[in-house]
Amino acid sequence: MAGFWNMRRRNNLVGYLFVAPQLIGSVAFVLLPLLLIGWYSLHDYNVLAETVRFTGGQNYSKLVHDPNLPSVLAATALFSIGVTVLNLALALFLALLLNQRLAGTTVFRTLFFSPVVVSLVAWAIVWQFLLQSDGGINGMLHATGVSGPNWLRGNGTAMLALIVVQVIKNVGLNMVLFLAALQGVPHQLYEAAEIDGAGRWTRLRRITVPLISPTILLASIITVVGSLQAFAQIAVLTQGGPGTSTTVLVYYLYQQAFQFQHFGYGATLSLLLFGIVALLTAVQWRMRRKWVFNET
Amino acid sequence: MKRLKWLGAVLALAGLLTSAACGASGAASTGRRGPVTLRMTIWTANAAHLKLFDQIAAEYIKTHPNVKEIKFDPIPADNYATTLTTQIAAGHRPDLAWIGETSVPDFISAGALRPLNGTLTRTPGYRFGDLSPAATKLWQRGGTLYAYPFSTSPFGVFVNVGLLKQAGQKTPEELIKAGRWNWNTVIAENAAVAARTGKGGLVIRDFDYKAWDNLISLWGGWGAQAWSEDGKTCEFDRPEMIRAMTFLRKAVFTDKAIPAPGTVADFFAGQSAMTITQISRASLLKGAKFPWDLVPLPDGPHGPYAVFGQAGIGVLKKSKNAAVAADFLAFFTNPANSARLAAYFPPARTSQLTAGTLAKSNPLISRAQLQRLVVDGMSKAVVKPVHTDQAEITQTVRAALDPLWQPHSDAGAVLHGVCKKIQPLLGT
Amino acid sequence: MRRDLKTRSKLALYALLCVFCVPFVFPTWWMVTSSFKPVGQIFAMPPRLLPAHWDFSAYSQVFEFQPFARQYFNSCYIALVVTLGTMVVASLAGYAFARIRFPGQNALFLVVLIGLLIPSEVTIVPLFRIFESLGLTDTHWPLILVPMLGAPSVLATFIMRQFFISLPVELEEAARVDGLGQFGVFFRIALPLARPALAAVAIFTFLNSWNMYLEPIVYLSTPEKFTIPQALAQFVDAYGGPMWNVQLAAASLTSLPVLVVFVVAQRQFVEGLAHSGLKG
Repeated sequence: MAGFWNMRRRNNLVGYLFVAPQLIGSVAFVLLPLLLIGWYSLHDYNVLAETVRFTGGQNYSKLVHDPNLPSVLAATALFSIGVTVLNLALALFLALLLNQRLAGTTVFRTLFFSPVVVSLVAWAIVWQFLLQSDGGINGMLHATGVSGPNWLRGNGTAMLALIVVQVIKNVGLNMVLFLAALQGVPHQLYEAAEIDGAGRWTRLRRITVPLISPTILLASIITVVGSLQAFAQIAVLTQGGPGTSTTVLVYYLYQQAFQFQHFGYGATLSLLLFGIVALLTAVQWRMRRKWVFNET
Repeated sequence: MKRLKWLGAVLALAGLLTSAACGASGAASTGRRGPVTLRMTIWTANAAHLKLFDQIAAEYIKTHPNVKEIKFDPIPADNYATTLTTQIAAGHRPDLAWIGETSVPDFISAGALRPLNGTLTRTPGYRFGDLSPAATKLWQRGGTLYAYPFSTSPFGVFVNVGLLKQAGQKTPEELIKAGRWNWNTVIAENAAVAARTGKGGLVIRDFDYKAWDNLISLWGGWGAQAWSEDGKTCEFDRPEMIRAMTFLRKAVFTDKAIPAPGTVADFFAGQSAMTITQISRASLLKGAKFPWDLVPLPDGPHGPYAVFGQAGIGVLKKSKNAAVAADFLAFFTNPANSARLAAYFPPARTSQLTAGTLAKSNPLISRAQLQRLVVDGMSKAVVKPVHTDQAEITQTVRAALDPLWQPHSDAGAVLHGVCKKIQPLLGT
Repeated sequence: MRRDLKTRSKLALYALLCVFCVPFVFPTWWMVTSSFKPVGQIFAMPPRLLPAHWDFSAYSQVFEFQPFARQYFNSCYIALVVTLGTMVVASLAGYAFARIRFPGQNALFLVVLIGLLIPSEVTIVPLFRIFESLGLTDTHWPLILVPMLGAPSVLATFIMRQFFISLPVELEEAARVDGLGQFGVFFRIALPLARPALAAVAIFTFLNSWNMYLEPIVYLSTPEKFTIPQALAQFVDAYGGPMWNVQLAAASLTSLPVLVVFVVAQRQFVEGLAHSGLKG
């Protein structure tokens, strides 16, 4: 026995044991449901009649010819790019502000983080009120002499409002990650750069960003994936409107599967969403070699 | 990897087979089992409602040893239809379900509901003939009743008489007497209130420039409808609909008699002069600090009209206990219990649709008001537009109507656009 | 960059921070203060910063309408179990994927990563079918097992793996030379060093579980078993209209404890992260 259980085998066994809970969970709660989704996508599933009919590739050809899909994908891209860019930029900016030697930064750090712990549904309901055309935001704008638009009803402003609400809710998380990363950047580097005559912007671009790039990568992956899955805030604030301007993929698939009861087609859209998220993450992961400092 | 996938496939298949087997045995074993538990999904979580339901259920269980328990399962009203569908999709189907008027065509055409005529007519003392044909119209097909309309609630206009007087306007009572209770006067009065008091004018409750089917309380006066009686032709582009919508747009954007999109004015908090909603909302006026009245919808160019909103209870055909569930439904809605439910839900029974019965359970509304609204209204009333695939049609219309709620748009063009979008959905 | 600033730039910085704070703080402020207003005043224009007179009735109503205390307990214990469970599952798997070499490792890691990419709306119906066939609907098991082992825990595993990769190998090698086995190295050396990353994982996981909305609505049907976000949607009047002040009171009760925990523990959280693998 002792001969069979050599160092390498024992090592392997420990490895398998360590990953076993996560792996079993992944198979039971991720892969198996995913396979079922694939199976549904090949069928027409009448939920109310509880009948299932094999339709082969019909749902897939519907996907290719769906007249709504281009605008849905465009809205999805706009929302995700908007959220990711604004979130990362604002998180970095806030982290830089709070990384100063200044009394009371802890208080501000707490305040910026606080939306993260507020219940998402409550958060969306509050913003719905603030964004009314006679709501709090326009009240403030009015005080400065600007007459604000009807945010959630205007074609461009609804998307803008959604992006901002989403970013304010979540930016605290990335801010804390960045702040942590910034505190790991050695001061000497900045001092040396200053002696070399590098300005604020150059120091940011040449020292700060490269040194915290692993954190930026992690934050951007989490933010992109999160933005592609944003649902509750859209359901509360715009229900995909006005028109279909804020109907992003996850909301569209919810509509198709659960509201319109086209469950098979909803499953097909799920696979599309899964494919997009997987592709984007793979691309980000590959690109890390190009720009992430110190990654092998 | 390979082995894992293979295992997954086997498990998936096993899951499906089990669920299929369950479905089959469920259909076969109807009515010959031990004591059963019934589950009814509802969208109210109101304690008073639940208490009454539980009382009725307890009385039923006392005389029916084959039933062990009856559970009333509240699902948030906001996503009721969706959650119910998800439960059914996942095999967790209730035995009885509340069904909104807009989802019932889908349930019926999918064959998901158990016909009720047999059970109801056989139940002693049920008096099936007492159900008003106007109330059951939506819930039957080809003479077979598929769900019982337990709530038939007319739309009326609640009026904040205090605000009207403050703006120097005539009360609805005076206008009705003078024969001038029509849409033109109503909009003129509300415009005056909005201009002079700074409060909102008329609010079409729950519409919020999204739930467009509530607009039937307006376009009914123009004789317009969303689609033809047989459901095959879109009628949003008909002249009467275009006139009605043009009138509405003018009332919103020119006269400012109706609060514009994105403004909140809650009638029940005293922030607007009038609101159109179902009369059951009168309970929200308990302790109201302003004098109010409840009157029928104003006459339109097409003459007087009335609208009511409904909700029904259906028995899921594939439920293992469908027969027992139907029998409980017959008990739940028999004449005596229907009268008790009338405290919250206006009944569908002709004999109980009297001002006297309703006044007992709606203490805030006078007999005269009820007579005018419920009893007289019933004969000429229409219901909200319904269709199979309602959810998709509703959503498509909502998206296509959105441009109409911008200050500058062409009603005719938008409404033609609506028909272009939904005609393919209606045709199928 | 971390140098003492001149008074003038200090003032400018404070002003900037204060302005930026408004959109972060006002919604929460409004939620809490409005819960003390009578319904009629909540939507009064212009919005008031404080209630004209304080009305505490919404808070007693929260407990009258539903078994809210029980639901609060449900949310608490589910979130705690999920958090502890995820910490165990993720640190084990994260360590193995980072440090132990075994055949099929990369393939298995990819399999696990798929979970990171799936929104819960996508898998809810098949998952419901699975739990239904196991007879576990209307229990808390799906709300515990899926987040702990399924897709939501993958982010935690990912974070732990990234952390362990960034640890210097030397410490563990030294321990191995001293005769510690694979498990001993993990438990005695690596895990204590991983405390900051574990703190981050704990916070992520707790918040996720605490705010879970879709899953409880689908799985649970008995009010005594409800969780808080689900209960929030149930505070409606007889006709389905939301009871704003009661909802806001319940929402405040939901958010404030987490906020307090964060305020108390945030130094450890942030400074812990500073020493974790998430920095760079």
